[in-house]
Amino acid sequence: MGLAMSSYLIGIDVGGTNTNAVLLEDSRVLETAVVPTRHDDLLASTVGALNAIVSHLPRDRFSEAELHLSTTLATNAIVEGKGDPAAVIVSLGPGLKIEDMEFPFPVFPIPGYIDHRGREVAPVDFDSLRSVLKEIKSLGVTRIAVAGKFSPRNPSQELAIEEFVQTEYPEFVPITLGHRLTGRLNLPRRITTAYLNAKVTGVQLAFASAVKQLIQELGLHSRVFVLKADGGTMDLHESLVRPVETILSGPAASTMGAIALASLTEGNSVVVDIGGTTTDISVLVDGRPVYEKDGAGIAGFKTIVPALYSRSFGLGGDSRVWMDGTEIRIGPHRAGPPAALGGTNVTPTDAAVFLGGAAIGDKDLSIKAITKLSEEWGFTPLELANEIVEAFCEQAAESIEAVYNYLTQLPAYTVEEILRQEDLRPKKIIGMGGPARFFIPLIARRLGVDYEITPYCECANAVGAAAACPTASVTLRADTALGKVVVPELDYVSDISHPLLFDVNRAREIAIDKVVDLAGRRQILARKEDVEIVEEEIYNVVRDFHTVGRIISLKAQISPRTRKIQS
Amino acid sequence: MTVRAATYRTGLVFFPAFDWAITPDHPEREERLLYTRDQIREEGLFDIPGVVEYRPRPATELDVKRAHICAGPLSAVAGSPHLIAAGGAIVAGEKVWSHEVDRAFALLRPPGHHAMRIVHGARGFCTINNEAVLIEYLRKKAGGKLKVAVVDTDAHHADGTQDIYYNDPDVLHISIHQDGRTLFPGSGHLTELGGPGAFAYTLNLPLPPGSGDSELLFAIQELVLPVLQDFQPDIVINGAGQDNHYSDPLTNMNVTAQGYARLTELLSPDIVVLEGGYSIEGALPYVNVGIILALAGLDYTGVQEPDRMHVERRSSSESSVSSTVRKNVEELRLIWEKKDELDLGRIFGGGDFFHRKRRIYYDTDNIVEFQEESIRLCSECSGYRKVFSVAQSLYIGGKQTRLAAVIIPWHACATCRNEAEQEYDRLSKSQFDYICLQDVEEDRYLCK
Repeated sequence: MGLAMSSYLIGIDVGGTNTNAVLLEDSRVLETAVVPTRHDDLLASTVGALNAIVSHLPRDRFSEAELHLSTTLATNAIVEGKGDPAAVIVSLGPGLKIEDMEFPFPVFPIPGYIDHRGREVAPVDFDSLRSVLKEIKSLGVTRIAVAGKFSPRNPSQELAIEEFVQTEYPEFVPITLGHRLTGRLNLPRRITTAYLNAKVTGVQLAFASAVKQLIQELGLHSRVFVLKADGGTMDLHESLVRPVETILSGPAASTMGAIALASLTEGNSVVVDIGGTTTDISVLVDGRPVYEKDGAGIAGFKTIVPALYSRSFGLGGDSRVWMDGTEIRIGPHRAGPPAALGGTNVTPTDAAVFLGGAAIGDKDLSIKAITKLSEEWGFTPLELANEIVEAFCEQAAESIEAVYNYLTQLPAYTVEEILRQEDLRPKKIIGMGGPARFFIPLIARRLGVDYEITPYCECANAVGAAAACPTASVTLRADTALGKVVVPELDYVSDISHPLLFDVNRAREIAIDKVVDLAGRRQILARKEDVEIVEEEIYNVVRDFHTVGRIISLKAQISPRTRKIQS
Repeated sequence: MTVRAATYRTGLVFFPAFDWAITPDHPEREERLLYTRDQIREEGLFDIPGVVEYRPRPATELDVKRAHICAGPLSAVAGSPHLIAAGGAIVAGEKVWSHEVDRAFALLRPPGHHAMRIVHGARGFCTINNEAVLIEYLRKKAGGKLKVAVVDTDAHHADGTQDIYYNDPDVLHISIHQDGRTLFPGSGHLTELGGPGAFAYTLNLPLPPGSGDSELLFAIQELVLPVLQDFQPDIVINGAGQDNHYSDPLTNMNVTAQGYARLTELLSPDIVVLEGGYSIEGALPYVNVGIILALAGLDYTGVQEPDRMHVERRSSSESSVSSTVRKNVEELRLIWEKKDELDLGRIFGGGDFFHRKRRIYYDTDNIVEFQEESIRLCSECSGYRKVFSVAQSLYIGGKQTRLAAVIIPWHACATCRNEAEQEYDRLSKSQFDYICLQDVEEDRYLCK
């Protein structure tokens, strides 16, 4: 099931401040390393961390080690507006106007329209396409994406456009096609995702070849995987086709790290990662992570990239402590480093040090800083330290409440779901991060739940990256009234030869086969048993009061999961 | 990516009830809103800043009792799907009431506008009147001080909502529908103008079969908007049934998605509630996208049904509206304008009470009901009401239910209230299966 051939796994997570690396042997952590992140040169950060770790590998097992990378490469490129000049060709037909979608990047609409059943209502206008391509070329665009309304129901128009471009403008190859990125509906998000994918392709290509070279130089014959926003991994080669899926791998690494390291993840828990500037919260229901409902959001872009649900709150060990009227508030701005480490401001970390709950830096510096502030604000030093801790825990608890309020209010479309009122409430906090050891127990007590602090918490992200596994997923839609089966991610369209006999079991069979096949092509070991059906819908198609067919929609995947790591 | 933000913050209570149907081959069935969901998702409407999706909750028994008198326990006639739909309408109202949004659309099923005040079962695919439950909820919140206008543009006469507000001067009920002589439920004639306590606060405009955008928009502009301007409601609710679409299998009208969007723009409703509409592939996805865009104040002119894409769009023109429709509109305008000058004695008689008899057919449950109603003619308030209802199931061996009800309206005067209580006491001694009192102002609902 996608298990590494090697028992050695190297996980590297490039974070905002530090790059962490771990070396795993099967399910044990052998070594950890940390180097500061060079923001302008992520590759150098990766190299530095890799070098630090690789020195601990037994020489004779070198070549077997598998490398898992979680980098902010694509994220940064998008956030900073870097990457190649890209444009999207869109066939959207009637409906919401493209001007109202207000894309902050070039989009070129052309005639062509497919309806919700996947029937072609208006064909692609190739003359229009030709003149649009000319314009795109003249603007200096080097990467193209194509997205059409309802293309996941019928990819033929996007494929026809791809073929046309390959013939007349081969320099634009490879082209990002909307239906290959996802089988989900939401054209504006698909357009955005396709654009971002095209835009960062070049950046990913450069990074990948640099990594390959580096590995060769080090004498490794490692297979390299990249962590995705949904907590799964993909081969470095795959990431050249769908680089957009590597955004937001940081929060994913964090959550997967928690799942890998926590001793008991069954039932409902909340993962709370307290960092220097922020506290990141993600949710496990029945031991499985909750995903973003519509897709990841990044730098104001709404994408359709599957992502673990994670919310960041401006509350961390180095956050600003201030008075809001008569109340003490923490953050969201950063005021660190803590006084204990030579900083000029009192931070929550200092309160913890003062109270003897954390051994960081020089305790006397914390005491001095807190005493000075307490005089200004009219507290005793002890009172102030306790108030700061109290405020921190209260805000953390409020943030957790906010997350659960959001999740329980999500729309539901069946009577059963409305009545069921699923209980998502956590029984336990899984805490991570530097300040975790002190604050998590207090937050847990406040919420009346158990808690666990993950071991190796300083580099849990890197463990998460190392322990993550490759995934593969497809969506299948069968319309027996129209006699068609479509698996858009694979460009697969087939006729249904015996519509009356085509039922949900047959649909599941096909979908599972396709996933196993896809995994195989990506050189991931997978069996049918490893594939889950995670979404399924069956509806009748009725004409004049007779049922003339069925629509079966389902999503099949090898789900993101982690190996369990022993502490 | 940012989508242009909505001009009006719009709440959407979208509840397709994918696991519920009246029967497996009934038009009011699981996949009715399936293609609509797909279209809304693919258009990305839920991502529009200012468009917020809300989850419905089941209405409570109290919520329902404020609008209905049920012959028997509520659970006998209505199940979770009905309560959730009614609750969804309430959520839509709540969000507008609290100014969380400017407008809201309860895009849900099952529908409700054929459900009358007294409920013996389901009729016209409806069991609980979602709009009435919503109105009573808001009216409670407003302490009784609320003027509501309901504009029902479903192809079928909204006989249920009309019945509930028949004698209520605070709720103006306007229904525009395909002529009752050609379509279920057969009512909604020009002459149905409301009870003695609310004469002319019920307005019905039947449209001939084949009517479309031109007639509907003409009615809105020439009848509805001027009347609303005069009535000055606090809340405008649109019963937006979409079975008046040219592709609907159950009716004979010609409205388009553009027409409905334009109607929404003109009417500027506070709350829209879906009623009927059974062309689930060819109409609902597009009409609903049009309504949502119009409510949000966004450009809806790009919305079009695929089968009309190659047809040159004919703009609805006033000139094509038939003279019958014009005449009827004019007549209704006149009645409204002159309502305070009319001699109600000539219409309702000079006695203490106004009596009327009705036969009501429940098509969905095959029940026929005979009602005898008396309304006290009161100069201080709209007058209390007494209803005798005998319902007979038309199935072989079907049972008969005899119900008597006394209804105390909002703002009832002391005399009406006292008399009503006495009547209820008197009736309690007689032989009925159910003897009920409905007193919305005091929230008292008794049923022996």
